[in-house]
Amino acid sequence: MKSCLSFEEVLAVGEPRLAEMQHVGDTFADGESAEACAAFTQQVRNVEAAVLHSYAIAATVARKADSLEEVADVWKKMSAFCLSALAILAKLKDKYPHCGTTELYDRVLDYKLACDKRYQGALEEKQCLTIALPRGLLPELR
Amino acid sequence: MPDDSLAEGVVARAEIAALAELFDRFEFTLDPLSREADEAESQFNDQIERLFESRVKPALPENSPVSLPVFRRHVCHLCREFLRKNRP
Repeated sequence: MKSCLSFEEVLAVGEPRLAEMQHVGDTFADGESAEACAAFTQQVRNVEAAVLHSYAIAATVARKADSLEEVADVWKKMSAFCLSALAILAKLKDKYPHCGTTELYDRVLDYKLACDKRYQGALEEKQCLTIALPRGLLPELR
Repeated sequence: MPDDSLAEGVVARAEIAALAELFDRFEFTLDPLSREADEAESQFNDQIERLFESRVKPALPENSPVSLPVFRRHVCHLCREFLRKNRP
């Protein structure tokens, strides 16, 4: 059997990780207790894995995309996934300051910026293609 | 690499193949924060600028709307297509 997943479905696999981090983050009154930090550190690891894994799939899908619209769409969705993670982390990084939360926030922000750069690049590429280059300047794909 | 899908231009097909290699290493990297990706992008940009200044700009008609950023995006597009055809 040959199965295909859309990129949206791939991202949906990671979404419960974000919800779980939010849930665990809200469970403890004192985020600096050893028990809370141990539980939240595990959530940090899970979300980091989800972001990195999803990004790698986004890059693979973008490489195989048939059109710039498809490329832009992949990066827009991946950026939105990072933004969802950042929104949760922004609320919890002060409550759990010693559990790798700030480091994850910074890393996810860098990943989001990488997505935005590629999204913007695809849009600019599409726009620039409306300006024709003189024939013979670049080699032509046969 | 089977790059015979490209006809020659002012920019040679071997140059596009080399640029596509660099493009692949930063645009589709699995780790966008890696030093390797940064270095590949920097080399890509340097080579594009060198090509533009040395061979493309002199070949453009006066008042051409083709600037370095426009040329760069066209090359990015060609690299994407090249990779799709030659490195599936």
